[in-house]
Amino acid sequence: MSIVVAYTPDAYGQAALDHGAAEAVRRDTALVVVNATKGDALVDPRYAHDDQIAAITSDLEARGLDVTVRHEVVPDVAQAVLEVAQETDAALVVVGVRHRSPVGKALMGSVGQRILLDARCPVLAVKPDA
Amino acid sequence: MSQQHAAPAAPPAPEPTRHRVVDTAQYAMAAFLAVAGAYVVYNGTQLRGGMSADFLPPSTFAYVVGGVLLVLAVLLAVATARGDVAEAEEGEDVDLSSGTDVRTLGLLVAVLCVNVFLIEILGWAITGAILFTGAAWVLGSRHWVRDIALGVALSVGTFYAFYVGLGVPLPAGILNGVL
Amino acid sequence: MDLLLDGFATALTPSNLLFAVVGVLLGTAVGVLPGIGPAMTVALLLPVTYSVPADSALIMFAGIYYGGMYGGSTTSILLNTPGESSSVITALEGNKMAKNGRAAQALATAAIGSFVAGTIGTVLLIVLAPTVGPLVVQLGAPSYFAIMLLALFAVTVVLGASKLRGFIALFLGLAIGLVGMTSGQPRMTFGFAELSDGIEIVVVAVAIFALGEALWVAAHLRRKPLEIIPVGQPWMSKADWGRSWKPWLRGTAFGFPFGALPAGGAEVPTFLSYVTERRLSKHPEEFGKGAIEGVAGPEAANNASAAGTLLPMLALGLPTTATAAVILVAFESYGLQPGPQFMAQNEALVWALLASLFVANTLLLVLNLPLAPVWAKLLQIPRPYLYAGILFFATLGAYAAGTSSFDLGLLLVLGVLGFAMRRFGVPVLPLIIGVILGPRLEEQLSEALEISRGDYGTLVGEPVAIAAYVVMAALLVGLVVARVRSSRSTTPTSVTEKDEVNA
Repeated sequence: MSIVVAYTPDAYGQAALDHGAAEAVRRDTALVVVNATKGDALVDPRYAHDDQIAAITSDLEARGLDVTVRHEVVPDVAQAVLEVAQETDAALVVVGVRHRSPVGKALMGSVGQRILLDARCPVLAVKPDA
Repeated sequence: MSQQHAAPAAPPAPEPTRHRVVDTAQYAMAAFLAVAGAYVVYNGTQLRGGMSADFLPPSTFAYVVGGVLLVLAVLLAVATARGDVAEAEEGEDVDLSSGTDVRTLGLLVAVLCVNVFLIEILGWAITGAILFTGAAWVLGSRHWVRDIALGVALSVGTFYAFYVGLGVPLPAGILNGVL
Repeated sequence: MDLLLDGFATALTPSNLLFAVVGVLLGTAVGVLPGIGPAMTVALLLPVTYSVPADSALIMFAGIYYGGMYGGSTTSILLNTPGESSSVITALEGNKMAKNGRAAQALATAAIGSFVAGTIGTVLLIVLAPTVGPLVVQLGAPSYFAIMLLALFAVTVVLGASKLRGFIALFLGLAIGLVGMTSGQPRMTFGFAELSDGIEIVVVAVAIFALGEALWVAAHLRRKPLEIIPVGQPWMSKADWGRSWKPWLRGTAFGFPFGALPAGGAEVPTFLSYVTERRLSKHPEEFGKGAIEGVAGPEAANNASAAGTLLPMLALGLPTTATAAVILVAFESYGLQPGPQFMAQNEALVWALLASLFVANTLLLVLNLPLAPVWAKLLQIPRPYLYAGILFFATLGAYAAGTSSFDLGLLLVLGVLGFAMRRFGVPVLPLIIGVILGPRLEEQLSEALEISRGDYGTLVGEPVAIAAYVVMAALLVGLVVARVRSSRSTTPTSVTEKDEVNA
């Protein structure tokens, strides 16, 4: 059993991480943090630096959690999160969701939406505090 | 790395660990140079001397260039056999550690070929869009809607920009009259 | 002076100012974008020469040239990935500064240093061009032939690690230059009527710089995103100014003369500037950890050499960098032939170009200081679009050059050659310069022999020609000495040593 967090190094990812960590403490399960990129641009702001990953890992471990971080380059980010959820027999997937216009969604696609629709387990969609 | 500090009387540094790597693909480059050089020289022999007032017959440059190309082909082949390895070009977006992606290269060339053969039949507005969308697909994009929209916008946009702005008519092809 | 004011009058018309802004923005953008450099951009923009007036197009290309230099340094600093060989040195200290939280200062000293160097370089150009002009007009065909030979030889021998590959590129270029009708008969046309006018240089430039490069990068794409250092508005403290201004001036002093030499380029002066600053610095301990002098000097050298490059290009028609070579192609598509007569016959155009360099330089500073964070965003463009776009515009440019699909086939063949050259480490610059200068070499030789009624002795009958051959011989001797010396040491692969190159 695990709780999977789809993480990005921004306010949305932080919110997901905070809620995921709280859930993991409450349910006493392992926490799996996924931060992936398609790697199709020279720079991807949603892909965390190695030292950011190290920082959140040590922070979560200090809180006594059993943390695994999946930090990788994948063909499809949503797919990668879903696969990790399947693999680790996730009880819950936590995603941060942002507002997007319909046009933006059609053009850019939405990782959060695909996770919501395709996950086989409950999904917790969170927003950063306003 | 150079062993400058070693005593001059010392025996030459043994290098049994440095096994010789032969870049066999480089022989193909040498062969290409040889063929090119041979053709240039052969072509030179086919040229008439030129007019009598011509002090520099058109074949002279052909002989010089072709001859040097042949020499260079030999030198490259020898260098290759002696373990000379090409230093492939680096770049800010280039990762040389994983070798050449032949599939991507071949598919891109195929997409370009499609354009060469169809541009005058189908017209630039169509083949240009195919070119862009196809290349984006080969390079890993899977957003069909966005890819096609961008391709069509670019090809139709450039069609009009060249026609109206630069006065260069690109082929309209089967859309002749529509555009 | 009046001529320069007339030049400013041309450069500052609203439409030309707009072309300058477009050029500077475009140049910086492509300098920042991975896989595209200023040479490729100018090559892709060659179709504009079909209808845009010559002065406007050249003003835009000057903006691209200067802007590309600046954009390249931005990525060197923020990402440690120097795209152009000229910004390799900048990355050494610039990226270290950025990692220490001094990205804003590194970008500022690069931008202001580029401005200072570019301005001084342009002044030097304006002072020197009228002096050089009358001198080169007197050059006879034998001298001109010798100088072109020297330029070809120097570009091939001085730049790049492998001389053999340099010569391979040069002679492939010369072979391409042979194609076409000569003395009323087809040479190297493979029986194609389309080739009887020779291969369109635009097609060669686009194929080698754009298509070959795009194919090469596409087949070796980096997958893991790079770590970018976030950046705000560039600025410098008083102490940074104090540490920067001398390196700027020294860098300019290194850059301009090297740019003006036949085998110029920016690699040697940026390296020299770096070494000098490290030696003179009051903070030598900071070098290797982010010393501002190590960014200021090389960046100034880099831009000053770009200005210097324009001197041989305008005065003699000799391009010494890839971008200058492509700009020369643009001149030729206007039917303009830079060379001894060019400056005298096209005074208005030359002065407009020189004036526009000032304009471009100033625009660069005004636009780029506030825009730095925007440029950093460009790095997020997905690669499929970037490279699909390059292929698209390369095809378009080549087709527009002759409006025939034959040219597109040629583009593909030469593009694959460009790919192979990158695979085998064959430099592309000697090839394109060979294509441009080959036919002119033949023309000058033919003219010289015509005047001397076939006597080859005429080739060494002029002092300038003799001087050029002496320099070539000296280069050759230096090369052989370097070879012997390096083969005596136990590392046979290190053929190029910077110090020997400068000898």
